[in-house]
Order: sequence, then C-alpha cells, then structure tokens
Amino acid sequence: MKDSHRSAILFLLPSFAIVAIFAILPIIDSFRVSFYRLILTLPWLGQKSVGWENYLDLWRDPVARDSLRTTMLFAGVTIPLELLLGLGMALVLNETFRGRGLLRAVVLIPWAIPTVVSAQMWRFIFNDQYGLVNFALFGADTTRYFAPLADANFALIAIMAAEIWKTTPFTALILLAGLQGISDDLYEAATVDGATQWQKFWRLTLPLLRPALLLALLFRTIDALRVFDLVFVMTQGGPADSTNVLQFYGYKKSFAEGMIGYGSAIAVTVFLLSVVLSVAYLRLLNVNQRARASR
Amino acid sequence: MRQLSCSICFVLLWASNLGAQSKELHFVTWKSEAPAVWQQAIADFERDNPGVRVIQEIGPQSSTQLHDLLAQKLKNRDPGLDVFMMDVVWPAEFASASWALPLDRYFTSAARKEFIEAPILAGQYEQQIYAVPLFIDAGLLYFRKDLLQKYSLPAPRTWPELVESAKTIIAGEKESGLTGYSGQFKQYEGLICNLMELVLSNRGAFWDERRQVSLVDQPAAVSAVQFVRDHVIGAIANRAVLAYEEPESLALFIQGRAIFHRNWPYAWTVAEDAKSSRVAGKVGVSELPSFPGGNSVATLGGWQLAISRFSRQPDLAWRFVNFMTGEQIQKRIARATGRAPTRRALYDDAQLTAAMPQLKFLLTIFKHAVPRPRTPVYLPLSNVMQRYFSSVLALPDTDIKGRSSLAARDMNRLLELAREKPIR
Repeated sequence: MKDSHRSAILFLLPSFAIVAIFAILPIIDSFRVSFYRLILTLPWLGQKSVGWENYLDLWRDPVARDSLRTTMLFAGVTIPLELLLGLGMALVLNETFRGRGLLRAVVLIPWAIPTVVSAQMWRFIFNDQYGLVNFALFGADTTRYFAPLADANFALIAIMAAEIWKTTPFTALILLAGLQGISDDLYEAATVDGATQWQKFWRLTLPLLRPALLLALLFRTIDALRVFDLVFVMTQGGPADSTNVLQFYGYKKSFAEGMIGYGSAIAVTVFLLSVVLSVAYLRLLNVNQRARASR
Repeated sequence: MRQLSCSICFVLLWASNLGAQSKELHFVTWKSEAPAVWQQAIADFERDNPGVRVIQEIGPQSSTQLHDLLAQKLKNRDPGLDVFMMDVVWPAEFASASWALPLDRYFTSAARKEFIEAPILAGQYEQQIYAVPLFIDAGLLYFRKDLLQKYSLPAPRTWPELVESAKTIIAGEKESGLTGYSGQFKQYEGLICNLMELVLSNRGAFWDERRQVSLVDQPAAVSAVQFVRDHVIGAIANRAVLAYEEPESLALFIQGRAIFHRNWPYAWTVAEDAKSSRVAGKVGVSELPSFPGGNSVATLGGWQLAISRFSRQPDLAWRFVNFMTGEQIQKRIARATGRAPTRRALYDDAQLTAAMPQLKFLLTIFKHAVPRPRTPVYLPLSNVMQRYFSSVLALPDTDIKGRSSLAARDMNRLLELAREKPIR
C-alpha cells in the first residue's frame, strides 16, 4: 500500500514540477512584482516597494475602468451566444444522419485554426476596401463600403463576431460530450410516458446537460476574460480605446511602456477575477452533482 | 516571470550550444520590401567573415509591435539578440533602460560626420550614441499632379487650401470612390507622426522639452486637432483612415482613389512603379502644408541599427552594423526599396540620383525634419496621446478641450516621474 503510494507521488512529480515552474512560480512572481514600482525605462527609480499603490492607481485609472467594462461586455455578449449556438450545433451533431462524422470534424475547423491566423482573416473580412462584409452588404457599389474596424461602435462587435465564430465549436464539443452521456433509456421511458419533443428537451436534456453547460461556461469565462490575440491582431486596442480589453492594456503597460509593477497589478486583477468566477461556477457544479447524487 | 524567462534562456542557451560550430549573429528586423537585396547583403557579409552566420529574425512591420517584441527580448536579457532595427524614437528609452550598447567606442565622431545630422542627433542620448542610421524618413505630401493640373490648382501650401482643393476636385470628378486625403490615423505611433505635423505647423507643440510640461491642451494644439476632426476625417477623408497604417493608406493612393496622401519617402517608389500603381507618372510630391502663419513640419522618422547590451559578441555585431550601413549596401537597398539613405555622399552619387531623382528634394526636407521629443518615457507619453487623439477623432461628440486637459494631466505625471532622475 505504502509503496504504491510512493510510486504514485513519483509519477505525479514531473507534471507537478512543470506546473510549478511554468505556472505557479510566475504567478507568485507577478503577485510580488505588483507591489513594486518597477519601470524598466527609468532604472534609477529602482525597485521600490509601494504596497497597494499600483492597485489604488488601477482603481482610479479611468482607462482601466473603461477597459474592465469593455472586457465584461465582451464576455457578457460572447459567452451566452457561444453557449446558445454551441448547444444548437451539439443537438444537431448528436442526431444520427449520413455524413455526421465528417460534419463533426468540419465544425471543429474554426477552433483548430490558430487564433492569430483567424484574427488576420477576420481583419481582411472587415477590410474597408476588399472585405467580404462590405461585398456581402453592398456588392459592387464600392462608394458605400465602410470600415467596421475604424468605427468606435463597431470594432468591438467585429472582434466579438470573430470570437464567437472561433470558439462556438469548442462549446459544441463539450456539450456534445454531455449529450452523449445521457442514456437513451431515459428518452425511451419519456416516450412511453407520452412526453413531447419539447418536454423531453426541457425536462430531460437541459437538466442533465447542466454539468456540461457549466463546464463550458467555466472554460469560456476564463478564456473570454483574458482575450488578447484577436485585439492584438485586429485593432491594437483602437479606435478610441474601444477594444482596449484588460489583458491588452496590461500587455501595453508591461511590454510597451515598461511599467512592470502596474502591468502585473492588471494581470493579477484579471487572474483574481477569473479565479473568483471559476470558484463560483465550480460551487454551482458541485452543488448540482451532490444534489443529483443524493436524489 | 523572471523564473520563466531564466528557464527559457537556459533552454535557448543549451540549444544554441548544440550547433555552435560557427559563430551565429542574431539580427532582428522587420520584413523588408526587398528581401532578396537584404539576403544578398547578408550573404556578402558572411562571405567577408568566414565562419559567421547571420540569422535574420523577421519581426512585425509595425514599429509599435516590433518595439514590444524587442522590449521583451531585452528585458529578459536574451543573449540570442545581437543586432536590431531601432526606430528613431527609441534611443532615449533603450539607452536609459540599459538595453542598447553605447557605440562611441566604435562610431567615432569623424565617422558620424558622414551621415545626415538629424538621425545622428536622434540616436544620441546624454552625450552617448546608441545607433547608426540606416534609413531616414520624413513626412511628405503626395498628390495627383494630373488632377491638380486639370483644375489649375497649385500644390497646397496650407491645410485649409488642401481641403478646398480636395473639395473642388471631388465635386468636379464624378468618379466614384475618389476621396480627398489619406494618411495614418489608426491608434498607433503613426497617428502621433501625422498629428505632430499638424499641431507643430500650427505653431503648437506636444510638450515643452525644456520645462518638461505638456502643451497638448494649449489653443494652438487643440485647434489643429479640431481642424482634423471637422475638415479631414469623414469630410475629405473616409472615416476608414481611422484604421489605416502606412500600407492601407498607400494602397488607396496607388489605386487612384485619393487625391492627397501623407507618407514617408518610400511611397514615391511604390507610387511610381507602373506594375503596382495605377497612378504612376501622375504623382507629385511636396513638403507638407502648414496652417496660415505656421511653417511646414515633417516628422523625422527612420530606422537605425543598434546592438544589444546583452550581446556576447559586440565586436562582430559592430562589424555587421558597419557593413549594413555602409555606402554600398545603403545604395543597393535604396535602389530596390526607395528608402532614403543616411549617408550624405549618396545624395551626390550620380548613379543613385539618376535612379532616384527625388533625392535632391528629399535632402532639403530631411535637413528640417523635426524629431519626436526625446525622453525615456516616450512610449507611455505616446500612448496617452494616441488615446486622446484617437478618441476625439473617432468619436465626433467628444469635447476636445476637456480631453486635451486630461491628456495633458496624464502626460505631466509621466514627465514628472522621468524628472526624478538624480543628477550625476
């Protein structure tokens, strides 16, 4: 017994070491640095411990506040749409029909393309001179072509569209796995009891899919809060800061402006934000499972 | 973060030692318009220096993004970076952060005299020099000679004149999709270059370098911005310019869809190339307009070669820098790309001036080109201004005066931070 215990630890050690080196230590270091005033381009200021100053500055920084609002708006719009569309896709893919295997593979393509590549593609789609969006809307009438990415009201919508296109397959995949975990017996029993399709969906599918939905929600929330690559490629935060999401702002502060302390404070804030939300979701998930287990 | 970078460095070091028979020189640059010419130049250098291999790493074209890539490497003290392309606005920052190697030992004052003065000054910070100029840039006004002639209009001397001329031509030409002006107004460094030319030619300024206080909220600066919002963006220029960097704005011009165009010298060669340009032979170029009472201002731009302070082979790196900025290579690159060389002698070179007749005119512009203010906090200041300009130009209802004082306040805070430097 003890021996197997020891070998189990031995087997776990390598992956733990990797997580420790590449995830835990950098996170701890970011925490530490966020309490310092550290500006790379002004080395004579040194690395001065400033307590909560960076966080207080962040709290008072109107750009950060706008940025938080933009990030939340981004998450708030994209996540429900991705879940809804993903659910629809999963339901279709769960049916038996010819070519289902092929379709399941095809659906995953947007998710399989590296984000930077698809972001570049979406930048072309929204281009004001040769973009597909303009062509679809106005055809050959080039005088009416407009530039979505130059419009402070539309740029964020364009990025949301790219995000939804890219990650809906991911939610569909998780939900499809959830659907396949639901036993056919239940549906047969429901049919015997005379339930309609609609009733089966609301009373059976949806409640049993809840763990998968929460899981998808969890992944998507963490991902949406740290959106960066789409903004980096498509707009660089502009125009008028309308797509300046928190992670991009933090990146700008750390890497462009060399304000490592302040940038770390932003990164830590995003991290804490996603931890809090994740814990809340996991609670929900657990409660849900415990309730089912006790039933 | 540091642990991470250390481990990455370690892995890189280990990997580089594996194949280290020949000496490798890592050169980070952006994608050239004429990669073949660059390849050839590098091959020539390798031939002259047996056993040396130059590894070219192609970074992003955008200055802002290349800066971030380099900053990341230098912050991590990456030994896999020897020579890099440096924008004229970075020396103060890279010097102050101890990222760039001072080159005084190699780059003597006699050698410096062979270059045009403006980019040499831009490469200096606190009496030391950190870069060797490779290309020199300055903002120019390109225009459709044929259209101006057709309406008997002169090249505009003032901005309001430019707007009027554009309106006249657009009204006369029924051609669909013809716009008056294309420039760079995306939220990035190019926005600063464009706005600096407008603000300074209205006798305004971004900040007072002597007193180190922001001047963006002063009437001259505010009214120049107001002019751009009221008479340029969405008026003679499409609102799409708010997402344009150099390539997009130039594309519009060479498609024959813009009357006036602001760009750097390389645009001349592109616009005059009949293979890619519909307006070849119809292009005129002049100094940029000013506001009535002001003088024409061209932002000094350009690229320089610098050496990383963490390079293990500074002598070899210098040999490479010296080679690439030499007359022969500069001449070859100039002919292939239209980028203006930095060595004075080339402006009298018969072959080159025959191929690039614009050089004589360009030299007069370069002599008066205005550098962006030099400070180690340039990037944060630039971001504050980009934010301010982009928001008042993209959102027509914003209060320019109010936003400008917010921007000035943020800038002053940064300038104050930079002023805390102890006097040595």
